[in-house]
Amino acid sequence: MRRGLRFEDVAVAGVGMVPFGMLKERPILHLARDAGLAALHDAQMTLADVDEAFVGYIQLTSMIGIQAMKELGLTGLPVAHIENASATGLVAFREAAWAVSSGRADVAMALCFDKFTDLQARGGRGGGRDVIDAPILPASYFALWAQRRMHDRGTKPEHFAAIAAKNWNYGAACPFAHRRPDHPVTPEEVLASRMVAEPLTTMMCCPADDGAACVILAREDLVRSRQPGRPVVRPLASALQSETYARGHTFIGPVVGPSTMTRDTARECYEAAGVGPEDVDVAFCHDAFVNEELEYYELLGFAAEGEGDKLVEAGETGPGGRIPFNTDGGLIARGHPGGPTGLAQIHECVLQLRGEADGRQVDSARLALAHLVGGGSICTVNLLERTD
Amino acid sequence: MARVPIEEGFFRIPDDPGEPPRLLGSRCPNCGEFFYPRRMVCAQCLHEGCDDVELSTRGRIWTWTYCHVPLFGRKDTDVPGYGVGQIDLAEGPRVQSILFGGPDDFAIGMEVEIDLETLRETADGDEVVIYRFRPLAERSA
Repeated sequence: MRRGLRFEDVAVAGVGMVPFGMLKERPILHLARDAGLAALHDAQMTLADVDEAFVGYIQLTSMIGIQAMKELGLTGLPVAHIENASATGLVAFREAAWAVSSGRADVAMALCFDKFTDLQARGGRGGGRDVIDAPILPASYFALWAQRRMHDRGTKPEHFAAIAAKNWNYGAACPFAHRRPDHPVTPEEVLASRMVAEPLTTMMCCPADDGAACVILAREDLVRSRQPGRPVVRPLASALQSETYARGHTFIGPVVGPSTMTRDTARECYEAAGVGPEDVDVAFCHDAFVNEELEYYELLGFAAEGEGDKLVEAGETGPGGRIPFNTDGGLIARGHPGGPTGLAQIHECVLQLRGEADGRQVDSARLALAHLVGGGSICTVNLLERTD
Repeated sequence: MARVPIEEGFFRIPDDPGEPPRLLGSRCPNCGEFFYPRRMVCAQCLHEGCDDVELSTRGRIWTWTYCHVPLFGRKDTDVPGYGVGQIDLAEGPRVQSILFGGPDDFAIGMEVEIDLETLRETADGDEVVIYRFRPLAERSA
């Protein structure tokens, strides 16, 4: 029987990342190295302490993960590659947590990196222009979902603009974000930006990014003995699903999967953890295009079906709200390099749960949720808790 | 000069330019479900060995948008924008496709018909084509 993973006796030893952005002048291996070292320093470890590593990226290059690990040292540790499109980072995190929880490793590392500026130089994502789904811009796929939402639920572009403005303003407070506006962004400014695919404007879409992030997991007793007095953050549970067939499934253009996938994956994760959405204090989701965030309010269980607009109108997913979403700016402002995106979510989860998210801290956050979809074909939901 | 598909195996181009192209799909002989594109294993009942079929040339818009950014795969073509839709065919498959028309020409539920759009010419003078759907009302107007 398929069910979510519940983790035992594993805690976050360290997190590290390089601020996301267009980092053309920095080689990809140096981005990976710098994120890895930041996490090792945060964990007060060296690579000699790490028993196993999972590396992830969506670059077209093969085996570049091995090269990245060599930048951190050559200790003979096992290294395996993870690739799950936009969900890569969270799946690398899940595998590293399970490696420790299952007892096969005392310390495991998840390291992800990507350079979209390199991908663009090579002519774009996907299989080139001579494939059946090449002529359609990915933003269109999400716009199709937004248009149907407006038709079915009466959602207005203003709802989408309010969410985007929130994420831009969270980005201003996060030192790791790509987009850090120097002024408060208003929904009006978001609506006035250039139209990409109706109803999505440029400020409702994530940027292209370069970046790297790393998370180190270890046996909880090791973390407690090495880091006395520091709040301990534990992975609690994880679920991972691919698509389930239903009539109306779109096989070509797999960027937006069936919405039921997020709902079912979240349910599996909550059940494994023995908690519900009412217990979650801060959440992160795949807001590559802003209408996704609105849908995930409902699919992750924070609002009843069709009621997500009310959360937006009441400001419940922003500062001081009932369930702040994407406090590092999300994919829209923090950025979305691909592989490292999920580890950046974990990075922010850990800062929030440790109480170290200066300028954007959620009061007494104890339970965090991180969600991503990948290529519309995979979904993962993960829960982390603070234990004192 | 011939018309060649952007990628083989997804649609058939009739010899008569007046005839619409046909999407190449599958039908499961066990449960009857239809699919686009072709597949061997039924996605609904896992039966091995779906039958090849050609799908309807008409359908209804389930959702649509108008994209204002030049096409991803045809930067050699100068277009101000293009419609994109998901079309429900009568047999069941939902097909994502370019739509022919302007930003005000589409609506959810509207009936559309498939035809071809030329993306570019090859060095040999062939036209590279992809399918698109156009509103039936627009065609008769």
